[in-house]
Amino acid sequence: MRLFEHGEIGPQTRRLTASTPLDQVEAAASDGAPIMIEFEAFRDGRGFSLATILRERGFSGSLIATGDLLPDQARHLMRSGFDAVQLRPGDDPAAWRRMLEAFSVVYQPAFDAAVPAWTSRGKSLRRPSNAPPIDEGTTLGRRAAELNAALRDADPLTVLRTVLDPRQGLRVAALSSFGAEAAVLLDLLARAGPSTPVIFLETGQHFLQTLSYRTTLSKRLGLTDVRIVVPDAEERADLDPREDLWRTDPDACCDLRKVRPLARAAAGFDALITGRKRYQSGTRARLRVIEALDGKLRINPLANWSADRIATYRAERDLPGHPLADQGYASIGCWPCTRPIEDGEDSRAGRWSGVDKVECGIHLGRRRAAA
Amino acid sequence: MYRYDEFDAALVRERVEEFRDQVARRASGALTEDQFKPLRLMNGVYLQLHAYMLRVAVPYGTMDSRQMRRLAHIARTYDKGYGHFTTRTNIQYNWPALTDLPAILEDLASVEMHAIQTSGNCIRNVTTDVFAGAADDEIEDPRPWCEILRQWSTIHPEFSFLPRKFKVAVIGGPNDRAAIRTHDVGLEIVGRDGNDTLFRVFVGGGQGRLPHIGKEIATDVRGTELLAYLTAILRAYNLLGRRDNIHKARIKILVESLGIEAFRAEVDRQFETLRDEDLRLPQAEVERIRAYFAPPAFETLDGSSGAFDRAVLADPDFARWNRNNVRRHRQPGYASAVISLKGLGEVPGDITDTQMEVVADLAERYSFDEVRAAYEQNLVLPHVKLDDLPSVWRALLAAGLATPNADLATDVIACPGLDYCSLANARSIPVAQALSKRLADLDYQERVGPVRINMSGCINACGHHHVGHIGVLGVDRKGEEYYQITVGGSPDEQAALGQIVGRSLPSEAVAPAIQRALDRYLEIREDGERFIDTVRRVGHEPFGEAIYEGLDAAV
Ligand code: HEM
Ligand code: SF4
Ligand code: SF4
Repeated sequence: MRLFEHGEIGPQTRRLTASTPLDQVEAAASDGAPIMIEFEAFRDGRGFSLATILRERGFSGSLIATGDLLPDQARHLMRSGFDAVQLRPGDDPAAWRRMLEAFSVVYQPAFDAAVPAWTSRGKSLRRPSNAPPIDEGTTLGRRAAELNAALRDADPLTVLRTVLDPRQGLRVAALSSFGAEAAVLLDLLARAGPSTPVIFLETGQHFLQTLSYRTTLSKRLGLTDVRIVVPDAEERADLDPREDLWRTDPDACCDLRKVRPLARAAAGFDALITGRKRYQSGTRARLRVIEALDGKLRINPLANWSADRIATYRAERDLPGHPLADQGYASIGCWPCTRPIEDGEDSRAGRWSGVDKVECGIHLGRRRAAA
Repeated sequence: MYRYDEFDAALVRERVEEFRDQVARRASGALTEDQFKPLRLMNGVYLQLHAYMLRVAVPYGTMDSRQMRRLAHIARTYDKGYGHFTTRTNIQYNWPALTDLPAILEDLASVEMHAIQTSGNCIRNVTTDVFAGAADDEIEDPRPWCEILRQWSTIHPEFSFLPRKFKVAVIGGPNDRAAIRTHDVGLEIVGRDGNDTLFRVFVGGGQGRLPHIGKEIATDVRGTELLAYLTAILRAYNLLGRRDNIHKARIKILVESLGIEAFRAEVDRQFETLRDEDLRLPQAEVERIRAYFAPPAFETLDGSSGAFDRAVLADPDFARWNRNNVRRHRQPGYASAVISLKGLGEVPGDITDTQMEVVADLAERYSFDEVRAAYEQNLVLPHVKLDDLPSVWRALLAAGLATPNADLATDVIACPGLDYCSLANARSIPVAQALSKRLADLDYQERVGPVRINMSGCINACGHHHVGHIGVLGVDRKGEEYYQITVGGSPDEQAALGQIVGRSLPSEAVAPAIQRALDRYLEIREDGERFIDTVRRVGHEPFGEAIYEGLDAAV
């Protein structure tokens, strides 16, 4: 849209006020001569409709706006079909230009060439051609199998984008301990959907370093929905009044502080994203990208990635590490149950070392955890 | 629930930047107050009696716990620890500093909220049935359409400088719980044709000065053509609506003066020349938005609950709350719970930051992370398992949120009135509080049953007094606050405006007068009649007599 101060108006330009009835405006525009519409008050928006209608009915001549207008109306004018604005003495062309460029998104079609969001979405959200069709009739297991077939070799970002695509109809949350390896998954998640809820199980036994890492990492990555989930206060007072259940019965402690809170926090979701990888330990060696567990999908976008690939990605993206990782902790959970590992041990060997426990229960099905 | 994608997020961010630019130009004097005012209003910023007020949109009343927590955070950080839910399912903050506004808007943007078009002469926040997606009488969930309308109307190039504000409400079935006939445009889903949704359209409703009940303009507009049809209505209004008199500028006056037939012909004429192929929503986009509102993962339950039954038997207070505040759900074994913001003697619609946190926790834990704002200035947990209702109730009780009065006489709608509002004639809050105290006896309230009592501090009718079964309107009589009472208004599918029963009363006379009207109803009702049924049968006169018993009724 052209901005000019005055003059430049050819003698054949027809000058009408914005209060002119539509049929008279149409009559004046019938031979294609330039039309100038004068706004008598910036609050009076009739001129926007007049311009839109003229353009819709095929008027291709020049359409100039003038009168009492604000820079904040520049885009409204342009989108309604005006191709020029005659500024008044004292108007600030810089403000007009700024306001013309204030938005990169439009929500509705108009006369200008801007593509409404609903059209752009059709393009950017096209489902990957190998994704399974959406079929609400399938059972969860079949749904998982289909998704897994389509995504088993996909890169993590594709996995995330696919499951977060609303057309999959899934309510998705991620699960993160903000431990030594959390940054990679969370960075990928921030790229695919920064507003995806991230569940953090606040067991009350975390290292302080983990809590501050949670804050800095979420901020740095722009995650907008990190949810801190705590054990039920009554249950805790009941089962672990002295806060030392981990000494005598770590399974019960994990059940109280992780398994049950997660079950409550995850109630509204159909799918949970985790950061588990196949290389982490023997029990995870057969991990699949998509699994069904306890009535929900588990999405493991990093299942296929090797320790090397993870490290490269972290370096490429310059992701901040967990403060304890440098001190030899490879898998970080609650302080009572985590120790540094020795070279050559598998990366989860530092967890619950000395007891016959390898998973805290949140990644096992309900029945196995109880057994 | 709808989640922002990159486009929505960018737009809201850019809007904050635009507003920052406007505030800077106002500060430098490049914008006069007169020029700045409509711009700040379109970002929800009002100037009230004592301070600025920020009105935040809760689009179609739907929130998740994260958003509710952010609203609590804003109340705590930038306000005096509370917010006020309005009849348009917005939330208002009464005490923010002007300089904090951009920070608040950024906070809102981070949880996918905004204050865009909550005021100003543009298309406002779209409202709907608070039980959408949960009610068992619904043909289709109206919220995907509300979201489609939200997006389409946001920063609309043609319709941002209308003659006056423009309010749209949508419902998903025949029972009107969103007062669509008091809106500029009311949309009722009436059925389906293949994949396409069919809408019945009302136009020209509105409250305020010169209230009108909307008239039917179309019986079966297709969903794919809805935006085109609304464009035609708005275009006719934008060109023909009055701009010479602010009190005659709403579409209701245009429809009234042309007559509905002539207005329909005008809309049809605009519709025919519209390039509606551009305005046709791609079916894929409709499906994409619908997918966000798919029902949550309900468990398959048989509809009975031992825990619930035991609690009803064991605890009469729970039983009472359940009788009055719990609504049927379409899914066996689930219910919707109304959280009354009308505690005894409290300000209708007000809620503290700690209470908001409690509601957020309950929504997250027991209601698939959803909470709704109702236009009656209450909140609703839409999807609670019967098994969980006793726990929900105990938590609400502890937070002072378990008042068992939903839809009863003390569930009063009231605008901020002279305590905050610069347009007010009279206070509404103290009158509502006095009524709440007078009618506090819950047995009495239950005997009376459902009755809608609404109060506004001036004729603008923010408190919906015209459509209260009993309406109370603040008027100024020679500098004194007086209250005019109406009877027989109704916001539902049998919408009607209340009739003035006599001269206005001083504030202390209002609550006793209303109680006399309710007592009269108890005397003359027939079996099974609700208050409004009795009024419809016998007219408003018997109630007028009761209201003025012992008083001089001459106007
Ligand atoms: C405190 C500042 C407020 C101001 C200055 C204000 C101003 C107005 C005005 C001028 C009107 C009349 C519009 C017309 O007839 O064209 C109006 C109507 C209305 N307002 Fe407010 N209002 C305020 C607060 C509220 C609140 C707190 C609510 C909700 C409780 C609300 C909801 C409404 C509704 C529902 C209407 C009637 C809609 C209709 O006319 O159809 N407003 N308001
Ligand atoms: S990891 Fe240890 S301290 Fe943490 S919940 Fe499990 S047993 Fe308890
Ligand atoms: S009804 Fe009047 S007094 Fe009440 S909020 Fe609206 S404008 Fe203010």
